[in-house]
Amino acid sequence: MYLEKMSLLDYRNYATCDVEFSKGVNVFLGENAQGKTNLMEAIYVLAMTRSHRTSNDKELIAWHKEFAKISGRVQKKNTQFPLEILLSSKGKKAKLNHLEQRKLSEYVGHLNVILFAPEDLAIVKGSPSVRRRFIDMEIGQISPIYLHHLANYQHVLKQRNHYLKQLMIGKRDDHTFLEVLTEQLSTHGAHLLKERMSFVKQLEKWAAPIHHEITQAKEVLKISYQPSVEATNWEDVDQIFLDLMTQFEKGKKRELDQGNTLYGPHRDDLLFFVNEQNVQTYGSQGQQRTTALSIKLAEIELIHDEVGEYPILLLDDVLSELDDERQTHLLTAIQDKVQTFLTTTSLDGIKKHVLRQPRTFIVTNGCVELEDK
Amino acid sequence: MQYPEPISKLIDSYMKLPGIGAKSAARLAFYTIDMREDDVTDFAKALISAKRDLNYCSVCGNITEEDPCYICKDAGRDRGTILVVEDPKDVISIEKMREYRGLYHVLHGVLSPVEGTGPEDIQIPSLIRRLQSDEVKEVIIATNATAEGEATAMYLSRLIKPAGIKVTRLAHGLAVGSDIEYADEITLMKAVEGRREL
Ligand SMILES: Nc1ncnc2c1ncn2[C@@H]1O[C@H](COP(=O)(O)OP(=O)(O)OP(=O)(O)O)[C@@H](O)[C@H]1O
Ligand SMILES: [Mg+2]
Ligand SMILES: [Zn+2]
Repeated sequence: MYLEKMSLLDYRNYATCDVEFSKGVNVFLGENAQGKTNLMEAIYVLAMTRSHRTSNDKELIAWHKEFAKISGRVQKKNTQFPLEILLSSKGKKAKLNHLEQRKLSEYVGHLNVILFAPEDLAIVKGSPSVRRRFIDMEIGQISPIYLHHLANYQHVLKQRNHYLKQLMIGKRDDHTFLEVLTEQLSTHGAHLLKERMSFVKQLEKWAAPIHHEITQAKEVLKISYQPSVEATNWEDVDQIFLDLMTQFEKGKKRELDQGNTLYGPHRDDLLFFVNEQNVQTYGSQGQQRTTALSIKLAEIELIHDEVGEYPILLLDDVLSELDDERQTHLLTAIQDKVQTFLTTTSLDGIKKHVLRQPRTFIVTNGCVELEDK
Repeated sequence: MQYPEPISKLIDSYMKLPGIGAKSAARLAFYTIDMREDDVTDFAKALISAKRDLNYCSVCGNITEEDPCYICKDAGRDRGTILVVEDPKDVISIEKMREYRGLYHVLHGVLSPVEGTGPEDIQIPSLIRRLQSDEVKEVIIATNATAEGEATAMYLSRLIKPAGIKVTRLAHGLAVGSDIEYADEITLMKAVEGRREL
């Protein structure tokens, strides 16, 4: 699939902007603070309805404006359709083929996108919540039903935490309602766990050979999901549900003492091992970077495998940070199959000869222009 | 420039309605002052009478002019079945189908610890009282398919079932996360047919 064109209206530092993209590699060239990342972000928001940089949608609207609009046209193997995101202080609207979609799960997934930015090192180095968010966003792109369970899980979790607190301070004493919330949380949690387990297996399957190749057979990458509950069979939702319920029963006293939900997918983590060592704690900068790159490249293949088409790839400021070896690997891996957008302040240090006919845009102060040759 | 005070007040009143922002409120206010005098008077009267002349049925909690409401009084209805809904709008949607012949119970809300709503804050105690008379054989729970609607349904089922009353959930056919209000009549009909036991 690819993004044929995109238009912006009052988005960040863009008053208006209309761009037509190449199916292959698109380069956004410009000085600092001109709007390169803003452009990448706009593409990301068009695909995912939310920014990768902020959870506050108001920041996306140009200063002193009431609303912002991002629209684009997606071309797939057998279809093409417009997408549109409207942001205002009152909320956002997402339109697929001119029709407003009320539910996130009905919109997300029509334009698959993989973003690779310097911050992505946090997937390896950062806190467990970064990794959980990473898993959630990526599975959400492939499986709308996952988003449905995730939204419900988070909703019920909030209710359950409130209720546990009310029980703890003695404001309520009805344990039947706690049982109801526990059952509800376990129902959605079981689906999340099953999907996450299988996603992580797939991710490892694709990432391991890539990592092996980038490191010239020096490193073996393993990825492991760390659940906060033990399950007997991770492929069986009903069994996971029962195991969650058992865990909640066992930990009931602890939860009531602390007034908080202590088990479930919101407590889990993802671990990366290189040659049996935890990369997060023991890995060198370079190993951590390679791990992040392997994961991103693996995702491209994973989405292709699940969806039947390659996602689009956004590379914000990462190319110049990779050494020649990794750059060449990355560029050959995506060449001719993945529509790619990359930003840079200079073409020095980028292996231009590996890029076949890139379309270069000059970004200056909220304005995008095709470079004239 | 400031609006003349009577207009400001009217805009302020319109803004108290759901889904009306400052701009729409201003538009409605200016439209209102252009309306014919007797239309405006009727409008004002309708507002007041909707509030004053309507009450809640002391049996089922539905909105009504007389107490008990016409549904509770209707001897032709099946007194063995009670359909539990979140609010009076749901009663109207289901009545429009003309399929359901039993009685209703309006909860006026759902359980939500975040909002501080417990069983005593909505019409659950009055429902339990109604069930103590032996007539009732089945309770159909038609709370919305939201997380709170589901939790409330599960909670009610746990309270009612031990009394030997059949409890079913009306949810099938409704899009998950949707409000009954929006459901069209055909989906609602499917929902009534395909209700599952809790
Ligand atoms: N809501 C907004 N309205 C107007 N301008 C904004 C808004 N949000 C950010 N900006 C401006 O956008 C600019 C930053 O753009 P962006 O992050 O895309 O830069 P960049 O080209 O990626 O730079 P770098 O090379 O440093 O990463 C800043 O000058 C900032 O003031
Ligand atoms: Mg940038
Ligand atoms: Zn009544």
